[in-house]
Amino acid sequence: MLYYLSLPFLSILLVILQSTITDVIFSGRLVFELSLIVVIYAGFRLDLIRGSILAFILGFVFDCVAGSVLGVFTFIYVVIFLCSFFASVRLATEKIYIIALFSFFCAFLKELMVILFYYSAFKFDVLINMYFVLLPQALIVGLFAPVFFYLMRRVEVYLYEKAV
Amino acid sequence: MFLLRKYKTAIFIVTLFVIAVIMFSYDLKYRAEGSFFRKIVLEAVAPVQRVLSSSVKSVSDAWLRYVLLVDIEKENKNLKNKINEFKAALILYQEGYLEAQRLRKLLDLRDDYNYHFISARVIGREQAALSKTILISKGAAHGLKTGMPVIAPPGLIGRLVDVSWHVSKVLLFIDENSNVGAIMQRTRTQGIISGAGPRGLVLKYISKTQDVKEGDVIVSSGMDGIFPKGLLIGQVSHVDRQEASLFLKINVAPFVDFSKLEEVLILSSDEIKIK
Repeated sequence: MLYYLSLPFLSILLVILQSTITDVIFSGRLVFELSLIVVIYAGFRLDLIRGSILAFILGFVFDCVAGSVLGVFTFIYVVIFLCSFFASVRLATEKIYIIALFSFFCAFLKELMVILFYYSAFKFDVLINMYFVLLPQALIVGLFAPVFFYLMRRVEVYLYEKAV
Repeated sequence: MFLLRKYKTAIFIVTLFVIAVIMFSYDLKYRAEGSFFRKIVLEAVAPVQRVLSSSVKSVSDAWLRYVLLVDIEKENKNLKNKINEFKAALILYQEGYLEAQRLRKLLDLRDDYNYHFISARVIGREQAALSKTILISKGAAHGLKTGMPVIAPPGLIGRLVDVSWHVSKVLLFIDENSNVGAIMQRTRTQGIISGAGPRGLVLKYISKTQDVKEGDVIVSSGMDGIFPKGLLIGQVSHVDRQEASLFLKINVAPFVDFSKLEEVLILSSDEIKIK
């Protein structure tokens, strides 16, 4: 129960942290999508209910903070979570290059869905950003995801040892 | 009921998707009005964002200040280097200015006396204790001859004693071997000026009956056949009326500071050219 209660607050913190890092490091040109990496991690580690709720809430908070159409990232994050969840059954999710490649793929997929949504809803031609924004952003996610996974594994080990 | 239990996870996921679809459909249709949930989230985000932003801002400000300080240090170094360069240039210009002033004085002197002059630079000084001579940068090749008078602002300094092709030696009249015919400007009393080394000059053969005061100006008399008449020599600095002697003992301070000589003029001809 504590998990579900703390989720909204942790999601808010995560999204704010993400936007702050983005501002500091990339000066707003690119978005460092830590929340997406968390969703992928949840897909690899959590069960379907807990993970999908996490993805839903994280996406919702991201929608609210980012100012996009409410529900778009909520929808996309749940899709990404499901992809990660079902991929974790078949992929060796312990390997760094698998994590990196899969995260890159997910980031790319997410951006594609966003582009498609905005194109179908508002007829925005956002394909021009493909090379300058979409690919670098996916690359950043792909590179940073193994680091995040490693850190989280260390935290898990620490918490497990403490519990024992 | 059985189906509901069996597919509860799938139903839950589908429900999430349906909620998301409803949300963005609603938002697309009534976007201008804003969503209640969005407002709640934004209200929750604002204080946290403010705290995080201010702390990040203070860190980034500190970093920027550090970077700025590093830049300022570099700039300071460059500016100091530039100041040193400018100082060196300024010294050169000052040197040039002083030289120009000295040369102007020489030219003024030339105008005053209406003689034919050759200018030369002082290139060396005799370091012996008893000999007071200087070396100048011109010689026989420039028309100089032994015995020619040498002057520097504001007056006489000596005569040429050795003339080489391109270098000459000037015997300063403060040398103890030097004697110049002199006359007191105020009383027109004539005497001989002799060098006294570090003490300057001594005016000899002036009778005790003569009126001599400190500050009287001494000029060349022209009687010695070497120095033209009227060149400034010095002024009386001390008069000693000794009982046992027939003459006054008069110390004369030369007008020229011999330690600062850099350029001199040589009277190259005996003929005086009147403008």
